[in-house]
Amino acid sequence: MSEPIRLGEYPRMRRVDERKPPELRFSQRAIEELERIKKHYPNKRAAMLPALWIAQREYGGYLPPEALMEVAYRMGTSYAVVEGVATFYTMYNKRPVGRVMLEVCTNLTCSICGGYEILRYLEEKLGIRVGETTPDGQFTLMEVECLNDCGNAPVMQVGNRYYGNLTLEKIDALLEELKSSEEHTVVQLADTIVQCHLTESERQDIERALARAAQAEEA
Amino acid sequence: MPERRVLFEHRDVPGIETLEVYEKHGGYSALRKALSMTRQQVIDEVKASGVRGRGGAGFPAWIKWNGIPKDESKPHYVLCNADEGEPGTFKDRELMMRLPHQVIEGMVIAGYATLAKVGYIYIRGEYTEPARVMRRAIDEAYRAGYLGKNILGSGVDFDLYIHMGAGSYECGEESAMMSSLMGERGQPRLKFPHAPLPTIAGLWDCPTLINNVETLSCVPAIIRNGGAWYASMGTEKSTGTKIFSVSGHVNRPGNYEVEMGTPLMELLELAGGVKGKLKAVIPGGSSVPILPADKCDVNLDYESLQAAGTMLGSGGFMVLNDTVCIVRFMRRTAAFYAHESCGKCTPCREGTRWMVKIFDRILAGGGRMEDIDLLLDICDQIDGRSYCGLGDAAAWPIRASIKHFRHEYEYFIQHGHSIVEAEGKAVAV
Ligand SMILES: Cc1cc2nc3c(=O)[nH]c(=O)nc-3n(C[C@H](O)[C@H](O)[C@H](O)COP(=O)(O)O)c2cc1C
Ligand code: SF4
Ligand code: FES
Repeated sequence: MSEPIRLGEYPRMRRVDERKPPELRFSQRAIEELERIKKHYPNKRAAMLPALWIAQREYGGYLPPEALMEVAYRMGTSYAVVEGVATFYTMYNKRPVGRVMLEVCTNLTCSICGGYEILRYLEEKLGIRVGETTPDGQFTLMEVECLNDCGNAPVMQVGNRYYGNLTLEKIDALLEELKSSEEHTVVQLADTIVQCHLTESERQDIERALARAAQAEEA
Repeated sequence: MPERRVLFEHRDVPGIETLEVYEKHGGYSALRKALSMTRQQVIDEVKASGVRGRGGAGFPAWIKWNGIPKDESKPHYVLCNADEGEPGTFKDRELMMRLPHQVIEGMVIAGYATLAKVGYIYIRGEYTEPARVMRRAIDEAYRAGYLGKNILGSGVDFDLYIHMGAGSYECGEESAMMSSLMGERGQPRLKFPHAPLPTIAGLWDCPTLINNVETLSCVPAIIRNGGAWYASMGTEKSTGTKIFSVSGHVNRPGNYEVEMGTPLMELLELAGGVKGKLKAVIPGGSSVPILPADKCDVNLDYESLQAAGTMLGSGGFMVLNDTVCIVRFMRRTAAFYAHESCGKCTPCREGTRWMVKIFDRILAGGGRMEDIDLLLDICDQIDGRSYCGLGDAAAWPIRASIKHFRHEYEYFIQHGHSIVEAEGKAVAV
């Protein structure tokens, strides 16, 4: 079996100076999206998880302290509240990660159907350990809990897709494919999740608003 | 008994995830029918069906539906639990990917019956593939007037929003899910009798109906064919059908919908039979007690499984053959709960970590005989003393594994390696 999941290890965060005005990096699109998602709920606090997803996309796949600060600013709450939420959920990356995350399930069914072999093979092939990123910044390898696709064990999540019934040969082919693909990146995953929140009319609304803004700028 | 497909009746129809094909197969006729009934009539059909919650606890659905106040002094909400995180379970995934409109139809009917104008479907963050299918289906349903204002000219409004999680098993627990949806850490909230039920004070302290994807997916068929028809399937107390997600050492893993009360061994046959020699089955997801092979002569319904010392749970049916080392398997189970414990209460937060440490000592060859009783003692300290069901769920499987496979623990402690290796087999983990 694998080494134990490292219990009780929490990411140490760099602090930001809350007295300084935050540097704001959300794009116009991100701002439009967040405004609309807030309207799904009777209060804006409920948009916290989607806001963090937007931030993870806008900041290139992870949430540096500046991103948390910007979310706090846009949600009208404190840095501590945002940090508290962000650190609870495993899919918010608190540290920089590679362009693509390979998240191998080693939970019950996968563990008895070869999940650990897949994990070991990826470690060897990429020359990194679980939790690390390849030096070229392409891949981060993670061990995760049940992805709930156990009928296709062993399973791995790569961005917004699951790959099941994995074999060592499939992994070889997949890694090649992923090197050149922009489909299943960490940023793409965050964007997919954001888009899933937005209704069709909201998405159309956003496009119109952005087009208007672009026109205004030209004029 | 063969499969009995009710929810999955049209699962294999090409394009069934689109509105057009779903409508061709009777889709949304249940909604039309429900809108012509009174709200109480809808609830009474659900009552007559006897359908019980498919998320794990098996609580009669109609009691929740009927418990929502019948006036609108506050807004009401419907919350669909699509956080499917129970290891071994993958039925909600398929229900959303193949039959998204069935989920939507069930939710709109639930909204109508409970006076809710807004519904949320909380989908776990990892489930982007089902979420995209749901997104497309919801957009279609809005265009066709099945969602939004004045649905089908009935004067009933219902808006449906997708809310995505971000990686946390605990958010499947209903009060933690509400916390998470309200933008907080996914920790559970004070429960009945110390606080009102969610049906009275749920999301934003308003009446909230929380049901699992599969529970809500049962609703269209119940309304279409009547509660009595649904109740004619299954057993007296466990009515209808249940989807089991069969995985592990079987030849054809997958989701199988069978009538409640189907013999366990028949489900194994449906799934192509066991690969190798059957050692044990975990019939309802990682949280339920393990069932050794010699106790597998049991029917799959709430009561029979309980009598056999285990539970139906979520229907995550994991099959283990004789290459599995129970000690290692249980260490992996313990590690899962330790990882997912939300940290709110001490018995679960500390107890789950201690169990992993004891398992690690055993696996490293340094186990002591007292460790077995120490594990049982920790189980007793967690079970019934923790704030939410996750703690209990962490204790049950370990306790049952010691009950049924104590000799494997003893062997490991005495010899420093697994009994499975000693039998000359390759260990699966
Ligand atoms: C730790 C824990 C995890 C749970 N995870 C889920 C889940 O992933 N999906 C689900 O539907 N119910 C889950 N439940 C059960 C819910 O709390 C709740 O009972 C259910 O959503 C109610 O819906 P139902 O009555 O339709 O089953 C979980 C419960 C606990 C204690
Ligand atoms: S039992 Fe306690 S620590 Fe464990 S998940 Fe529930 S509230 Fe959190
Ligand atoms: S155990 Fe790996 S997907 Fe469930």
